[in-house]
Amino acid sequence: MSADGPMPGVPETGSDAETYDAMVDVEATDPRDELAKTTYRTDLGVKMAEDARKVSNGELSSEAYWTKYDAEAAAEFGDAYRETPNPAVDCAEGTIGDETAESLGCSVGTMASIAEGLEESDRKGETDDEDDTRWGMVIDLQKCIGCESCTVACKAENRTPPGVSYNVVLEREEGEFPNVTRTNVPRPCMQCENPPCVQVCPVSATYKMDNGVVNIDYDRCIGCRYCMVACPYDARYFDFGENYDGEFTEEGAVTSPEYGMDRGPREDGESPVGNVRKCNFCHHRLERGEEPACVETCVGDARYMGNLEDTDSEVNELASSSRAFQLKEKEGTDPNVYYLK
Amino acid sequence: MSTKTHTLTGRLGRGRLRIAWYVLLIGVMAVGSYGGYLRLTEGLQSTNLSSSVPWGAWIAFYIYFVGLSAGAFLVSTLSNVFEVEGMHEIEREALFVAIVSMIVALTFVLIDIGRMERLWHVFAWRQPLSVLSWEVHAYLLYIGVLAGELYFSMRRDLVETSDDADGLTGRLAGLLTLGRTETSDDAIETDRTWLKRLGILGIPLAIIFVHGGTGNLFAVAAAREYWFSALFPVIFITSAVVSGMALVALLYVVRARLSHRALDPALLERMATLLAGFIALDASLKVLEAFIGLYSLHPGEVQAWLTIMTGEMWWSFWIVMVGMGWIVPLVLLHRSEWRRKPTVVAAAGASVVLGVVGTRFNIVVPAQLEPALEGLSMGYYVPSTPEWLLSIGVIAFGVLLYTIGTELLPLVPRGEDHD
Repeated sequence: MSADGPMPGVPETGSDAETYDAMVDVEATDPRDELAKTTYRTDLGVKMAEDARKVSNGELSSEAYWTKYDAEAAAEFGDAYRETPNPAVDCAEGTIGDETAESLGCSVGTMASIAEGLEESDRKGETDDEDDTRWGMVIDLQKCIGCESCTVACKAENRTPPGVSYNVVLEREEGEFPNVTRTNVPRPCMQCENPPCVQVCPVSATYKMDNGVVNIDYDRCIGCRYCMVACPYDARYFDFGENYDGEFTEEGAVTSPEYGMDRGPREDGESPVGNVRKCNFCHHRLERGEEPACVETCVGDARYMGNLEDTDSEVNELASSSRAFQLKEKEGTDPNVYYLK
Repeated sequence: MSTKTHTLTGRLGRGRLRIAWYVLLIGVMAVGSYGGYLRLTEGLQSTNLSSSVPWGAWIAFYIYFVGLSAGAFLVSTLSNVFEVEGMHEIEREALFVAIVSMIVALTFVLIDIGRMERLWHVFAWRQPLSVLSWEVHAYLLYIGVLAGELYFSMRRDLVETSDDADGLTGRLAGLLTLGRTETSDDAIETDRTWLKRLGILGIPLAIIFVHGGTGNLFAVAAAREYWFSALFPVIFITSAVVSGMALVALLYVVRARLSHRALDPALLERMATLLAGFIALDASLKVLEAFIGLYSLHPGEVQAWLTIMTGEMWWSFWIVMVGMGWIVPLVLLHRSEWRRKPTVVAAAGASVVLGVVGTRFNIVVPAQLEPALEGLSMGYYVPSTPEWLLSIGVIAFGVLLYTIGTELLPLVPRGEDHD
């Protein structure tokens, strides 16, 4: 440490761990005082909290914990306990065995389903608004720096296989030296109002939802690829069944609940292998009140997501500005993705 | 001119040639089945298809065989609907070729879709806005019409065959009469009437739905400028007629030679003249299409045409489509005495049948190479080895079906006299 005092931006702390612990203890509150403020049993709260620490230490299994407290919790919290899915019981990688899960008094579900459930209960009072949602995206080309973070975030979120990239960034260079401009045009699926892909599908496997998103039913799609040929934006990809085998650790361990459905680990020959795939505005994220991964990750904040029907929304305002345009407007597809010049 | 057909079936000549032919077909199918094995185990990874070029050789063969079928069918209507003299002799042959071609075409559709086990979905979930959805239904109806026509055309001979032939041929003929064994003039007249009715139903079905519709499938894909033209379905029909007619002419000569049957030079010349005429029409329409496309200076159109004419596959345009499809047959058929020579007509037919394969590839592939959006990378496609193997296997399967049909069915009218 220099004689001039602490380095700017680096907080002055002691060197040993005890100092850190002391800092945390300053913030700590007495659990009994806190719980006394609630209408629930203080002793149960303390017991559960102490055992919860054992669960995180590994001294106690999650299964044993919930078996122990199931009855007491049900008695104490009533319907609130029974109707809320228990986050520890996660379908894909649950820490509680199926049998025990069945025996518990609480409902069972994934974190995602809990979030969606909350969304739904929020919406109950405002059903009129829900009918009017038309998801739209605005991409500011002046802000896009072409870093492809969106492409990467999309791959990470949707776990797309090799050869499938819901989002790409087109690099367009125009002019000759010294007057050269380069524009980066990120291209998700346009979620067209008049989608040619939907028109041509022989089995109605791809269709437009009320909220404006063009969906693909992986269990119905026969893989004829007519929609790919019909798409004016080349936004559709065929899943040939390739995998990133051995290219990174735990490949395939995490799966994406596309369209709100977790299909579990990717298996040979199972849908969506042999199906056509495309961006769906991260529909599973929208459903739980989150922005699509590309929007959330964008370093330049170039992407906006919102309800185009809502005249107070940012996307509605931006999409109506004089800078706004759509790709291939003369195709008559009327995309719900707008760009700002 | 009288044509004596000695036996019930158009025999391929008993003996060594016949055995060699079956061995060849089964050998080719065995090789092709290796491609089929790869297709089943690796899925579409065994192809050279990609997300930029999602349709390839199998789609090209599919539209080729649909065209061959529609063309052969239209040749059959010359006899049973338009009552062109002397065409009766090739009517059944043409109908049977049309049926086999449809089976081959639909097999190509089956192997091409990503999830083969879901083919039935097209009947479970119809989509009235989809051209493809309509097409699949039209194909089935069309196969039904063809089978019905073939039945009414063959019935009298089937009855006779079941009476005087033993073994498989006789039993099969008996089954195929469907129990209607009467051969009075009235019954024959009913057959001819129904044959004509089905033919009349079949003409719009084949032209508008089956083949015009297949052209439509491409033409409505507005995203691909090269396909997006109202002339496209029309050209599909003309090239279909060209290929179907060429195949029927070729088979007529080959089969007559193999069974030592006398050929009818007048019939031959009529077919050859029609073929030449349709080639000229087909070529003119294609030139028109290319002219308008290039004249528009629209990048999508121009790029597609440049790819076709000067790209890596230039030869499939200039040598296969223009050379074998147009120039060779037109040269061979331009003199009237050559049009009466079986060998020359057969050679012209064979050249066209192969040439139109090039036409179909040039329709499917080049339009997809240019990306729909500026900035995406250029597509690339040549069929992979498994694609070729399986294609050849499927075609050999079709030829096998045809050969068995010629052996077992009275495709050549029994002892009839023609003028």
